[in-house]
Amino acid sequence: MSDLALDVVQQALNGFLFGSSYALIGIGFTMIFGVMEKLNLAFGVTALGGAYVALLVFQLTRGPLVLVFLAAVLAAGLIGLIVEFTCFHWMPRDYPLAALMATVGMLFFIEEVIVHATNGMPRAFPAPLGQLMLEVGPWLVRGDLAFMFLVSLLVMAGLWALVYHSRLGLATRAVSQQPVAAQLCGIAPRRVNAAVFVITGLIGGVAGALIGSAVGNLSPLLALPLTVKGLVTAVLGGLGSIPGAIAGGLLLGVVEYQALYFFGIGYRDMVTYLLLFAFLVGRPGGLFGSKGV
Amino acid sequence: MKHPARRIVSAIAIAIVIAGLTWQPAAAQDRTIKIAGVGAMSGVVRTFGVNAKATLDMAVDEINAAGGMKLKDGSRAKVVTTYVDERCNAEEGISVIRKLASEEWLVSIGPTCSNVAEPLFGILQRKAGDAGDSGLQFPIFTDTAIKPGLAKISEWSFRNVPHEPTMYNHLFKWLKEKNPDAKTLMIGVESDFAHSNANAGIMEAAAKAAGFEVLGQEKWLLNDTEFSTQVGKFRRAKPDVIGIAAHPFTTCGALREMKRQNVKPKVLVGLTSSATLETMVGCGPEAEGMIIPTGFAPVTPEAKRVAKVVAERYKGNVDLHSAAVYENIQVLKTVIETSGVEGKSTSVQQDRRRLRDGLAQVKEFQGLLGKVQRTEDRESTKPYVFAVAKSSDWVVLYDPR
Repeated sequence: MSDLALDVVQQALNGFLFGSSYALIGIGFTMIFGVMEKLNLAFGVTALGGAYVALLVFQLTRGPLVLVFLAAVLAAGLIGLIVEFTCFHWMPRDYPLAALMATVGMLFFIEEVIVHATNGMPRAFPAPLGQLMLEVGPWLVRGDLAFMFLVSLLVMAGLWALVYHSRLGLATRAVSQQPVAAQLCGIAPRRVNAAVFVITGLIGGVAGALIGSAVGNLSPLLALPLTVKGLVTAVLGGLGSIPGAIAGGLLLGVVEYQALYFFGIGYRDMVTYLLLFAFLVGRPGGLFGSKGV
Repeated sequence: MKHPARRIVSAIAIAIVIAGLTWQPAAAQDRTIKIAGVGAMSGVVRTFGVNAKATLDMAVDEINAAGGMKLKDGSRAKVVTTYVDERCNAEEGISVIRKLASEEWLVSIGPTCSNVAEPLFGILQRKAGDAGDSGLQFPIFTDTAIKPGLAKISEWSFRNVPHEPTMYNHLFKWLKEKNPDAKTLMIGVESDFAHSNANAGIMEAAAKAAGFEVLGQEKWLLNDTEFSTQVGKFRRAKPDVIGIAAHPFTTCGALREMKRQNVKPKVLVGLTSSATLETMVGCGPEAEGMIIPTGFAPVTPEAKRVAKVVAERYKGNVDLHSAAVYENIQVLKTVIETSGVEGKSTSVQQDRRRLRDGLAQVKEFQGLLGKVQRTEDRESTKPYVFAVAKSSDWVVLYDPR
């Protein structure tokens, strides 16, 4: 096999696995939009905030990594609830821009809290898989990214079970499809919304901890890219579609890596956003959404 | 009441006596030397501002404890400071400097980022005394923004930052002598950050001049988190030397990926701004062996003392950037005391001009590592050492002073 072919496959493999980090973040965006039809631009920083709390727990306790990851999950769940309370709960329902702008404010607020707490310095995040590299024939596979990919599949399976096989899931679907009818049936939409924020926050915690350990560092620099990539993922996959977020994340990863290889860093993001435009024009519902809007 | 008039006269007399005992020239009491620090106190480069402010506070507290600065008429004035956030943003930097210039601040130390310094110097009067140029007449003495050649933009801009081309030319020449079998170099660069980009060019030129063959540059962005593509190209090219022109966040990521892909160059060279505690905190053992030329290391008694006091009492770190704040304050003190600064609220503009002219005449001063030479274009030629990351600390590998 030629060097070019080897590299193209290697890039596809790297992009596919790294795309699972986008998928995890994309799930959070898409799930909130699916239920409330509103965007939560503070979701990426929620995941990052959870990871920072986990790092704090690690620094204080040097405890087992399970505890550290659990701390990330719980902290992000709590931050998710705070975001719902501050950015959605009290906002006028008939003015969706208010909630959107509130989440933008929350994004920068949490980011600046992190900056002030850490002086903006990158902090090493524990990596349970270390620098593990698996050799698959002539290709290299990062152990931590492979693990992240498996976790994103597990998260999707867990969410599927929650949404389709639990009372909360039933209530969530009801509020998502017919909020007024759901309310008439005795479902409290505000509670369901809060529960969705906590659940997506928990997923964000998983994502934050896994991304932290894959990157090896936490930095406030991560807040904006997580937000942008998560949003692009959700749009590519189809806003509101959880399988779509997984597929969108993986697609985004593969496209980015091929663009980087063939065109260089200066064009990587241009190709990504051209893909986004192409979807918005040709298939605005995304991969798993409806064809038209 | 008896003798009320006498009582009143007595009270007035006592008041006059007390006032006489405590009287000092009003002008001397009111006078202060106002020096403003400007740097990044928020955002991801906040650490630069925090360290600069800590060092500024330390230097000024010491001067005030010793009686302040001597003015033209022989009286002494305390130094008053503030530290303003420019957020590493050009518009913000220009805005805060305009505000400081509209008040009674005599001079500013800063800013942190080259992308702020460059446009900021552009709003200053280009040639001092040019009546046809309405640019700001406000001296700025930069401590951190390191992109080469910026001070020549305006005669009101002064810098005391390491001269990277000199340091890297020497470093690569020295590396060639120590590693004669090392022949090739590749550079990884954070291409969307002005200083990193400039530094990559400096590294490339220095390496070529020293006889290395430059195999190319691999680029990434400031907030990238994954480097397998770029490091994969390092792995395939097998350069003897790898230079990383990037700040700690992406430097650490690239070094981790190099470890993953088992990329082990004979020599690893880093960016001047990465010779900091930040790199040690972020990279951990992956930084081991990285060599960086730096304008500060605690290798002289004064450098050790300043680093210790700033760390213990002001909770900051003295590094190649914040060390310049200490030096700048000492230079300003000397110039203020010798250039006829009056320190009055009515003489602010004249004092700024006196200070500017005085700074322009400085040819040499004592820095923390030794003598610092001043160049015609208002830059410094500073002593430096080559530091290497060893056992989670920076140690001096070679001291050419």
